[in-house]
Amino acid sequence: MKFQIEDVTVYFPYDHIYPEQYSYMTELKRTLDAKGHCLLEMPSGTGKTIALLSLITSYSLSKPQSPMKLIYCTRTVHEMEKTLAELKILHNYQIKHLGPQARILAIGLSSRKNLCVNPTVVAAENRDSVDAGCRKLTASWVRALAAENPDETTCEFFENYEKAASAAVLPPGVYTLQELRAFGKEKGWCPYFLARHMVQFANVVVYSYQYLLDPKVAGIISKEMQKESVVVFDEAHNIDNVCIEALSVSVRRQTLEGATRNLSRISQEIDRFKATDASLLRAEYNRLVEGLALRGNLPITDNWLSNPALPDDILKEAVPGNIRRAEHFLHVLRRLVQYLSSRLDTENVEKESPVGFVASLSNAGIHQKTLKFCYDRLHSLMLTLEITDTDEFLHIQTICDFATLVGTYGRGFSIIIEPFDERMPHIPDPVLQLSCHDASLAIKPVFDRFQSVVITSGTLSPIDLYPRLLNFHPVVSRSFTMSLTRDCICPMVLTRGSDQLPVSTKFDMRSDPGVVRNYGKLLLEMVSVVPDGIVCFFVSYSYMDGIINTWNDSGILKEIMQHKLVFIETQDVVETTLALDNYRRACDCGRGAVFFSVARGKVAEGIDFDRHYGRLVIMIGVPFQYTLSKILLARLEYLRDTFQIKEGDFLTFDALRQAAQCVGRVIRSKADYGMMIFADKRYSRHDKRSKLPNWILSHLQDANLNLSTDMALHIAREFLKKMAQPYDKTGSSDKKTLLSQEELEKLGDGSMHEMSY
Amino acid sequence: MASAHVTKRAKYKTTIKDPGTPGTLRMTFEKILFVPHNPKSAGKLDVEFRYIKGQKHTKEGSNKPPWLNLTNNQNGSFIFEFENYSDLQECRDFVGKVLAKGGEVSEKPTVAYPDEQLSAAEMELRIKLLQEDSELQKLHKQFVLSGVLTETEFWATRKKLLDREASKKTKQRLGFKSAMISDIKPSTDGRTNKVTFNLTPEVILQIFAEKPAVHRAFLSYVPNKVPGALKQFFSSSSWPVNNDPIMSERTFWTKYFRAEYLHSTKNSIAAAAEAAEDEELAVFLKQDDILASEARNKIRRVDPTLDMEADEGDDYTHLPDHGIFREGNKEMTESQNELYKRSLSQDINRHAAVVLEGRAVVFLFENIHVSLDCICSMNLNVDVELEDTKAVAEALAQSKQKSSNKGESDGDTSRERLDRLSRMTEIEDLQGPNTLPLAPLCIKDPRDYFDSQQANALRTSGDALGGIEQIKCGLSTQEVYGSLRESISSIKAMGLKEPIFKPEVAHQVFDALTNSISNTKYHIGKNPQESVLDRLPRKTKEELLHHWTAILELLKHFWASYPITTTYLYAKVNRLKDAMSNIYPQLEEIKGSVPSELRHQVSLLVRPMHQALDAAIQHYEASMQKRSAQSGERPNGYV
Repeated sequence: MKFQIEDVTVYFPYDHIYPEQYSYMTELKRTLDAKGHCLLEMPSGTGKTIALLSLITSYSLSKPQSPMKLIYCTRTVHEMEKTLAELKILHNYQIKHLGPQARILAIGLSSRKNLCVNPTVVAAENRDSVDAGCRKLTASWVRALAAENPDETTCEFFENYEKAASAAVLPPGVYTLQELRAFGKEKGWCPYFLARHMVQFANVVVYSYQYLLDPKVAGIISKEMQKESVVVFDEAHNIDNVCIEALSVSVRRQTLEGATRNLSRISQEIDRFKATDASLLRAEYNRLVEGLALRGNLPITDNWLSNPALPDDILKEAVPGNIRRAEHFLHVLRRLVQYLSSRLDTENVEKESPVGFVASLSNAGIHQKTLKFCYDRLHSLMLTLEITDTDEFLHIQTICDFATLVGTYGRGFSIIIEPFDERMPHIPDPVLQLSCHDASLAIKPVFDRFQSVVITSGTLSPIDLYPRLLNFHPVVSRSFTMSLTRDCICPMVLTRGSDQLPVSTKFDMRSDPGVVRNYGKLLLEMVSVVPDGIVCFFVSYSYMDGIINTWNDSGILKEIMQHKLVFIETQDVVETTLALDNYRRACDCGRGAVFFSVARGKVAEGIDFDRHYGRLVIMIGVPFQYTLSKILLARLEYLRDTFQIKEGDFLTFDALRQAAQCVGRVIRSKADYGMMIFADKRYSRHDKRSKLPNWILSHLQDANLNLSTDMALHIAREFLKKMAQPYDKTGSSDKKTLLSQEELEKLGDGSMHEMSY
Repeated sequence: MASAHVTKRAKYKTTIKDPGTPGTLRMTFEKILFVPHNPKSAGKLDVEFRYIKGQKHTKEGSNKPPWLNLTNNQNGSFIFEFENYSDLQECRDFVGKVLAKGGEVSEKPTVAYPDEQLSAAEMELRIKLLQEDSELQKLHKQFVLSGVLTETEFWATRKKLLDREASKKTKQRLGFKSAMISDIKPSTDGRTNKVTFNLTPEVILQIFAEKPAVHRAFLSYVPNKVPGALKQFFSSSSWPVNNDPIMSERTFWTKYFRAEYLHSTKNSIAAAAEAAEDEELAVFLKQDDILASEARNKIRRVDPTLDMEADEGDDYTHLPDHGIFREGNKEMTESQNELYKRSLSQDINRHAAVVLEGRAVVFLFENIHVSLDCICSMNLNVDVELEDTKAVAEALAQSKQKSSNKGESDGDTSRERLDRLSRMTEIEDLQGPNTLPLAPLCIKDPRDYFDSQQANALRTSGDALGGIEQIKCGLSTQEVYGSLRESISSIKAMGLKEPIFKPEVAHQVFDALTNSISNTKYHIGKNPQESVLDRLPRKTKEELLHHWTAILELLKHFWASYPITTTYLYAKVNRLKDAMSNIYPQLEEIKGSVPSELRHQVSLLVRPMHQALDAAIQHYEASMQKRSAQSGERPNGYV
């Protein structure tokens, strides 16, 4: 359908539209008009993504004189693929109505691991090996060597791409990663470098958060994005965590050992170069004297991960004299490693500010400025030494990342040294962590650089907290409720088990056999009643492992298996992916299945359990962070001091947004339906519950606040029966929940807004 | 042709020792009909010739009476004793002639029944059905064997049953059990430290399917005669077949369970220690390398909307030692023993995956006909049937080979991935309906559904108590008509609404219907508390139920025969009517047999049967009169 929002004609690929989507677009348009940032919370299952894409592409179509680029950030690759698939539907629709002028280029960008088509390179186990494998074939010096010596292997895809030069372009269209690969294979061009190249010209770029937030990646990928871009962070409820993680580094024993190995390897290389080709080292030295950390424009293939510090904080001055010579720099690094190693030999937990740490390092003879340049200096050295197997040098890179960050930032960070994990005090496992507490640091360049930044998610409650955490001023900050045609979500709070005793994952109760049994009984009853898929979230891997083992021993698991197949998320990503795939197949074929997952795990972060893939989600326990963690405590302290956010409030907020995120994935549209059970007595407390997003709270009836297993079972039965009835999809006449084009036009702007409030 | 039929006096004997029922044997080209002299005696016989396979007879001059033994294809036989040998001769020749003609003779009836010619498989299916369902068997015996209905007529009304059975056979196969194999608990004799594991081929199959490494080990360690093709398969699929250490099947399984025991103790250090000592044991303890390589293949085909492996490949924040340790991200395994660690979660995932895809394997498994009593034990008291387990192992290998061939052609997997992707992205209610391929629901007997609903209805009756009563308000014809008019006019004015009925109303009606439908069956006798039937003596109850089904069967055929257009139907109706009128005295007999305090109950139960029969017979007589009025020449010989 096609309709007007003020002066913009919006092309929307479906025949109907939800009123929320319409008002969401209206708010979004205002943001774009105001060239400001915004914060929008809209419940999952209301088609946020398509609304966003529709409006922004239509907006830029309506203003052909000032083309606007859309940078769409997702958390995961599979969300990226989904977004691109939705964009494709939209794009086809726009082309149908507008003809060739609606043509855009939209690409997804990912790592070499996901884009490479060279079979020998992509066969490698992990991302780092693929990156290194690529570099071994494409680095400028390797190619230069190959030009002289035909026996040297290079990557044919990259060579073809280079040969095609400026002719190597992607025709307009929407390319998912898979299609990019297919295109590359067909043309014989390297899809990764093609995509990297096309990013500058694409109208829509879809990639992961880190490509914008993590300076290491953003430095090489997102440098050239123009200011007139709209940046969208979808599913952004965890954005603060992504930001602080992007600037955090930790050093362990293994890291130091690895770094020492790396250093001796580098020193060998230096010796080799001195013997054979000393001119290169001299050239580097001269360059550094001239004040250039790096050779001007590097060939695209030589790019390595970029400086871990934010672009504004990187010093634009000459590398200090004491590390200009390769041997000297090596000495500094050796000393640094030694110092860190001595710090790891502690008996007690130590917490220090970066300033104090740098001061004590100065005593060891390494100055702040030297630290700051560590990363760039290492990068330069490795390029000079023509090292291609970069995956072997991750350890020394980590050390340099650490040094650069600790030298650059004085506040918002702390250094924590723990001699062992508190949960296993008998196993020494010292770790030195530089952890960032200030989420606004990493995202600041994004807010500064781009004209509009849209932060949106299904759960951004309380919505006023995010501007404070991220330190920005949105021009629009709105939370939308969901107008439902029928009560298609059914949240419940289960406080008691089948024996009427309270259930909770509170520390003192979680290992109580009665509680474990009650949770098992709850699941057992539910699998016998609820059709298709059930998802069950636990608070942590260790808790999940423990409870599953207990259920297995007591035979509950066996009984559950009589009704549904059981799949479990493990820490192994490949296995989890396969388990999920099988889970979906089991739901598709009608066998029905249960998926055991972990809140804050990878599955909870981005996998949808919509439609028959999830008719019921059980959240077992409140997913609090591990509150004894020193890092968490340091962050809480920082939040209290800087933003006056109480520790308890933040912890509850964090736990409840995770819980809401877990359960919120059951609904995809208003035609979908699903139940959510919060199984912990603590959810019945108002201070906890009220942190849930509004769209869940509004469906949580008072009668469902304090249920036992049998009552929940009864409600589930009734709910499922009700949902099986036919209903009017467009809603009753006074409260429309689905609009056709005519209705939308008839209603006009004024009344539209009243409806959605 | 000399004669189209033979008629002789003979005695029909069900067994050799049976004294026999005197009567008349009449053989035509189509069938053998035996009518006893005494109409009340049960020996009536009506067999179609196509069921007769062969004949045997006693020789003249032997001391045996003149017997003719006709064997049918269900391994039954009909024995007739003739008055003299010349009769036997004549009949024997006739039968020989008919049998020789075979198919040709039975051409005639095929005009009316094109499916008369039964394949052996179909016959088998019918027999199987009869064996499975004793009720059906009783009916079959009562009506078909006694000649009231022909075989064809009997099955004609059960075509669906036959069809579904047939289709089920090809489409729905037995899968793996839901229970995990780790649930195989050993049995101990309590006195010694010995434990005994019972391994059926099914369990072995499951072990092999879930643990390909064990399967490979079995095939390479246990002495066998693996066909060359299989060997080739293993070498091609990068399974190194190691032929050197040969062990017996018993040692193999002993080691296997030893390894399982080590796993269950969760002591990875002990496991590592034992594995270091025993090379074969290590095979069971190690991570399954075949699974790992399979996983790598499969991961390329997963739904892109859940491909988390790709995420990891794109994650630069979590470089080693970057980012923040979150709870659970830290692994505390001693790296050297990690090799011998296998978590329960892995087992569960693997199990569920195998159950999900188990079908192809089971199909082959069924074909082997392994005997299920193969027992393998840890101690030395039971023999191991080597052939069977081997067969299982080999069949599995073959099926694997097939599926791996299938996997080669993954050109269309990317297509499939895209399809799945687009299916996941569309928003269903904003768009037109999207039809997913659905397997049709297969309910063998609708009554089963209503029965299962009864339980629900009873459970919910607590809250909807009285709801049903309120629905049962009587409406006069005018009222109904009025409301109908009203709704029609409202539809005219406003058009059809979606949904046409209010969901609540539909729900209520559906509930009430379910309730009443399932109730009838209940009152005939399933609910132990409420049924009248259960107060009756067991024998009476069974008789009543049997009569009821019998009457239903007869009535079904009876009413289906109208309007009578052919003489065949005419004859059939007559037969049915006779059979029905036979039931009256039997019902009376039941009534008489029960104790007086129950007689009223029984007569209440019998009344509907009477009514149904009465109606049928009334109809029969009326139509007879009509018929005779139309064609006056036909005598009205039936009363």
